[in-house]
Amino acid sequence: MKFAQYVIGGYSLAAAVFLLYWLRLGARIRRAERLDRET
Amino acid sequence: MTLLNPRISRVLGVAALLSLIALAVFGLFVAPPDAVQSDAQRLMYLHVPSAWIAYLAFGVTALSSALYLWRRTRSPVWDRLAGASAELGVLFTAMTLIMGSLWGRPVWGVWWAWDARLVTTAVLFFLYVGYLALRRVPAPLETRAKRCAIAALVAFVDVPIVHFSVDWWQTLHQQATVFTPTLDAHIHGVMALTLWLGVLAFTLLYVYLLDKRYRLEALEEDLEAKELAKAIEERVQGAGITAPPEHVEVGVGQ
Repeated sequence: MKFAQYVIGGYSLAAAVFLLYWLRLGARIRRAERLDRET
Repeated sequence: MTLLNPRISRVLGVAALLSLIALAVFGLFVAPPDAVQSDAQRLMYLHVPSAWIAYLAFGVTALSSALYLWRRTRSPVWDRLAGASAELGVLFTAMTLIMGSLWGRPVWGVWWAWDARLVTTAVLFFLYVGYLALRRVPAPLETRAKRCAIAALVAFVDVPIVHFSVDWWQTLHQQATVFTPTLDAHIHGVMALTLWLGVLAFTLLYVYLLDKRYRLEALEEDLEAKELAKAIEERVQGAGITAPPEHVEVGVGQ
């Protein structure tokens, strides 16, 4: 594949960004739920 | 406190994941390389849907903000939805800029150019980062919601400027391929299929994440209200304790 470093880099980066955002969002929701129960 | 039924949300999450996997397979292996741009064009299957979903996200923010500002439809639901959608819009705009830059290096020879489309998109990104910062400024909920709604509507003015920038100015960025005045896109069948698969995958992902982000917004609002009530209660109780010292000592002894 020509320009493989850009293409594979781009797809990997997109996957990593969405995965990290989803994981962080889940962690923020769980933290808010816990604080909500404790308050 | 969610937009969707938990079961629907789960199904949506699975559908988004499957369509993203299908997009990666089609984008990397099934779609043919472009005659001019070769394989670098494969980045377009991420760049173009990201840009369209960013428009959609900011459109939802603007519409929700307008519904909040209109007295008849005013509800905290619209404010939460506006905030949740704006964060996703920023995420998809960042993705648009990153994928565009990765594509630009092999095709244009530069990571960045001071081109009208690129600059207006970067401005859009910073406008909504500012909007998200404004949401963090401490204020009563209604005051915050009103000023954020106005800011969202002002920021949305940049969306049509971004879209039409390639027609209004001479740009390095190519003109519209799909949304032309006649809507006659000349794209190879599998390439067009992959592009629409990208739009579908990113739309499903947007709706799934919007539901989650809305829930977080509602939980944080609820928590803020509870903490405020608790602080007031403590203050009131604290004011009641300010009795003479001997009184306290007697109380402790008993």
